[in-house]
Amino acid sequence: MDEIVFWLLPLLMALLVGILCPVMGTLLVTQRRVLQANLISHAVLPGLALSVAFGFDPALGGVISGILGSLLAERLQRSSKLNEEAVINTVLAGFLGLGVLLIPLLGLRLDLEALLFGDLLTVGWLDIGRVLVACLAVAWLLGTRYRELVYLGVDPEGAASAGLPVRGLRLALSAVTAAVIVSAMAAVGVILVIGLLCAPVLPGLHRVKSLRAAMIQAAFVGLALSGGGFLLALPLNLPPGPLIGVACVVLLCPLAGRST
Amino acid sequence: MNVQYGDSVVLENVSLSLQSGTLTALVGANGAGKSTLLRVLKGQLRPSSGSVYCDGDLIETCRERVALMPQRSRIDWSFPISVSDLVDLGSMNGRSFGCCDREAALQRVGLADLANRRLDALSGGQQQRALLARSLVQPSRMLLLDEPCAAIDPPSRDQLLLLMRQLADAGHTLLVSSHDWGEALDSYDRVIVVDRRVLADGPPAEVRRSLKGLVNPGNHHCG
Repeated sequence: MDEIVFWLLPLLMALLVGILCPVMGTLLVTQRRVLQANLISHAVLPGLALSVAFGFDPALGGVISGILGSLLAERLQRSSKLNEEAVINTVLAGFLGLGVLLIPLLGLRLDLEALLFGDLLTVGWLDIGRVLVACLAVAWLLGTRYRELVYLGVDPEGAASAGLPVRGLRLALSAVTAAVIVSAMAAVGVILVIGLLCAPVLPGLHRVKSLRAAMIQAAFVGLALSGGGFLLALPLNLPPGPLIGVACVVLLCPLAGRST
Repeated sequence: MNVQYGDSVVLENVSLSLQSGTLTALVGANGAGKSTLLRVLKGQLRPSSGSVYCDGDLIETCRERVALMPQRSRIDWSFPISVSDLVDLGSMNGRSFGCCDREAALQRVGLADLANRRLDALSGGQQQRALLARSLVQPSRMLLLDEPCAAIDPPSRDQLLLLMRQLADAGHTLLVSSHDWGEALDSYDRVIVVDRRVLADGPPAEVRRSLKGLVNPGNHHCG
């Protein structure tokens, strides 16, 4: 029985993350928020460290820290008219550096490698629970704001002039992104999660006629990537997270030869 | 009205009114303040001094009565969306409905047969007409079009101009910006030339005469 749980939990986690990340990633790609998502994935680290130090759930601290990083970058970019990419990457490096510094400063015993690159084989029910909470957050966002997100993606200025709460929508997007990233941390780590957010979205994005259809096709591709990567990693005795990251790049290679 | 960004004056002493059922061209070079003026008229941007009224009400209280069709570069044409779904987004502007429902708007702009196509599968001119159909679904009788004919081929421009003329004849008020001017200016009821201030305002022939040195008849103009 224990042996079955040992296999099943990581596989269940791989499959859930394989669906959740591409669905969220479809929103991020179509809203042109991938850079912000990459920033959030690095900015969760200081919150994780502080949460562990003060005895809170690391996921909660990670989400708050990720949102703060995103807000800081947005504030800096808006108030100073600085180059968006440069600001985001600088804040990303700052939050990552702070997270790494906090671990020795607070005397924490954290497995930094597992945080950054994931460790599917050690996941437990708590990790599954976090993914399910993140699934609910994504379902809430899509269930209540789907059309507004479509409007915002295709015509941001038009959405603003139609009176849609653009800043509120982007904040909600950042919060749900942080929740997804933190929940996927145990599977692929905060560094590799960006691959699973983006790669499954791209193959079919230019064929489908709706955001909903794009999400469904991305979920199927993500499911195959994540599940396949996990099942391949076991006999090869390789860490599943990095293998899934490599599989994401391999997935894109055939697209390079496709005519535009 | 006046519009200022910091020390930079973008619009100075601009005063104008638009009558219902007219097709007006807003002409000026790049950076002349056309897009700023459209944003002010839509109520997106508050003027530094002065006010904008729509049927006697301050624009801030009735923004849904004015539809703004943005420049091509503001739209993500590769977004996964069908033409009919794009047009449907117009119904999110305000609580009431526009002059047309989705099907009627698509019919009016001649895209009913392409309703299920992806937006990026259309030609440039068809894309502009799809955006115009979205504006028709909005509860607005006043349409502001920001350079709708930029980067589309001449037949498409002519088609769009004809469509705009039909909408004006049906009672819509259209203000169409362009940085280009030419023979097609004669299709408009009125031409307003801006370069930070209003340089000329009147029927096309009159504006041509008053700005003879600036107008190059060889250039095509649509909107």
